[in-house]
Amino acid sequence: MITLGIDIGSTTSKCVLMKDGSEILTYSLRIGGLGTEGPEEALEELWNKTEYTPDQVDRTIVTGYGRNKYEGADGEVSELTCHALGGRFVFPEMRTLIDIGGQDAKIISLSDSGRMSNFVMNDKCAAGTGRFLDVMANILRMDIDELDECAAKSENPASISSTCTVFAESEVISQLANGVSRPDLVAGICESVASRVSALARRAGVVPQVCMSGGVAKNNAVRNALAKSLETEIDTDPMAQYFGAIGAALYGYRQLQKNKDNK
Amino acid sequence: MVQDVMKKFHEAAVSPRAQMDKYMAEGKKIVLTAPVYTPEELIHSMGFVPMGAWGADMELNRSKEYFPAFLCSIVQSILELGIKGAYKGASAIVIPSLCDTLKTLGENWKYAVDDIKFIPMTYPQNRKPDYGIAFTKAGYERVIRDLEALGGKYDPAALAESIKVYNRHNAVMRQLDETLAAHPEITAAERSDIFKSAYFMTKEEHTALVEEFLSELGEAGEEKIGIVVSGILTDAPQLNEIFDEFGMHIVADDVAAQSRQYRTDAPEMDDPLQALAVKFANMDNCSVLYNVKKPRVQWIVDTAKARNAKGVVVVMTKFCDPEEFDYVMIKKACEKADLPLALVEVDRQMVHFEQVRTNLETFRDMLTM
Repeated sequence: MITLGIDIGSTTSKCVLMKDGSEILTYSLRIGGLGTEGPEEALEELWNKTEYTPDQVDRTIVTGYGRNKYEGADGEVSELTCHALGGRFVFPEMRTLIDIGGQDAKIISLSDSGRMSNFVMNDKCAAGTGRFLDVMANILRMDIDELDECAAKSENPASISSTCTVFAESEVISQLANGVSRPDLVAGICESVASRVSALARRAGVVPQVCMSGGVAKNNAVRNALAKSLETEIDTDPMAQYFGAIGAALYGYRQLQKNKDNK
Repeated sequence: MVQDVMKKFHEAAVSPRAQMDKYMAEGKKIVLTAPVYTPEELIHSMGFVPMGAWGADMELNRSKEYFPAFLCSIVQSILELGIKGAYKGASAIVIPSLCDTLKTLGENWKYAVDDIKFIPMTYPQNRKPDYGIAFTKAGYERVIRDLEALGGKYDPAALAESIKVYNRHNAVMRQLDETLAAHPEITAAERSDIFKSAYFMTKEEHTALVEEFLSELGEAGEEKIGIVVSGILTDAPQLNEIFDEFGMHIVADDVAAQSRQYRTDAPEMDDPLQALAVKFANMDNCSVLYNVKKPRVQWIVDTAKARNAKGVVVVMTKFCDPEEFDYVMIKKACEKADLPLALVEVDRQMVHFEQVRTNLETFRDMLTM
């Protein structure tokens, strides 16, 4: 059975095509999430990368922030459910998932058997999300992908005490004016995100194996600061940004199996 | 027909101003009752129609002249409505002292809404000892004096009769709560309408309508996901739509604006004013009613178990300190009892419920997968 998972986030769109809920056939990611051409472009890229065609798909499930507006799917599922499923597919021992996306952060706890047992989301605040990093990179006139490498050169990370993105923006500008080096500022910014998210994670409970997903998982500085703050190793995977889409495809497969069993 | 009765609940719930105008046209005087507990029996006995003033879902502008932004939006919206004339014609508003924000509402009301008299009802922190009961009674006597100044007349016999009316309404509402636990076909939105309409109708009318509703209720519908909802206020239509969309059935509530109002009756005593003070002393299981042992926490767990709820949803009104203090204990108690719990935050200014939707959709998945 072929299932397609589409994850329409706030800043990116991801697609994953799976076979029998066990094999990832192909995947795609395009910048541009809800309200953009991103989902269509990601799908186009996906079909260009595979010999499979849309008419071979048995079930399509959409997830993510833009799931309610997408009309081409057979069903929609919350992104937390999908991240839990997708994360566990990549990391079979995973008990805690920290997902930091473009607009929010989520912590998902799973039982030993993989059942979602708890979750916590941040609330309408850019602090502790990819958006915070975006804003800060913009002030420093850097590409967001350069933050990680820049932070690695830091010798004395700056302290960003403001928890609000707007106030932190002013604080970073002040620190720049005071001559704080870019690497120290960037490292401080990454630690600030980690500090916010680790507080959220402790609310949900942190049980190893702890994994990280979402676009911010690619940022080693944030991940290392989080690991230090939570006093645990944090694993990630090159497919971490696709956990939601993988989960959606797996959810579709489960539905098909359930329908088959009920017949 | 159940739907005909339901329509009456809905109309009253969404049209408090029309209800108020109707009573005023009948020559009755209106006294507004602010959250969380006011001596409605007393107001009723002195010839006034008590009407709930729990604010409304709206944009807040004028209230910000008096309040900082980080303050309970229920309280802010009550003042906003007062300033904008939504309560025009009411004789007074009784505001209890049950949380710090309500205290500031009363003080600001005096300056912001000068055509509706502010009547304070100061409750004691320690309400159960004899001296606490005496303090509550003295507070009620102050309310009596203020209502007399507005033309009301205090008569112990009339209060005893009003207590009977309210105790009967309490009993009917408790019966309603138990009955609805077995009727998943009654939606969260409809359940909310029934409870909300109680604030905008006389208790005699509401009792009769609830009794009619209960007598006409048909066979139970298909089973849904049973949940217990806890919080101060859960009347936002979007919130109830989400409960209904995800097949959640409220089998019990610990909501201040709903069942918490009806758990305790005033006892039969020679002095009805003393009985009313004893009623307040006997009330419990609420975030704004001080009790160092916090029995509310176990009450939620026990109720959820007794009603076979699959989980508990805490609907947190933003910046509500008393509820936030209790939440940690509720969360730990639910974890200990292996009872799944979700927390959603709401306020009176909320337009987009996407975060709540994602949260409850995930909770539904957690309970069913």
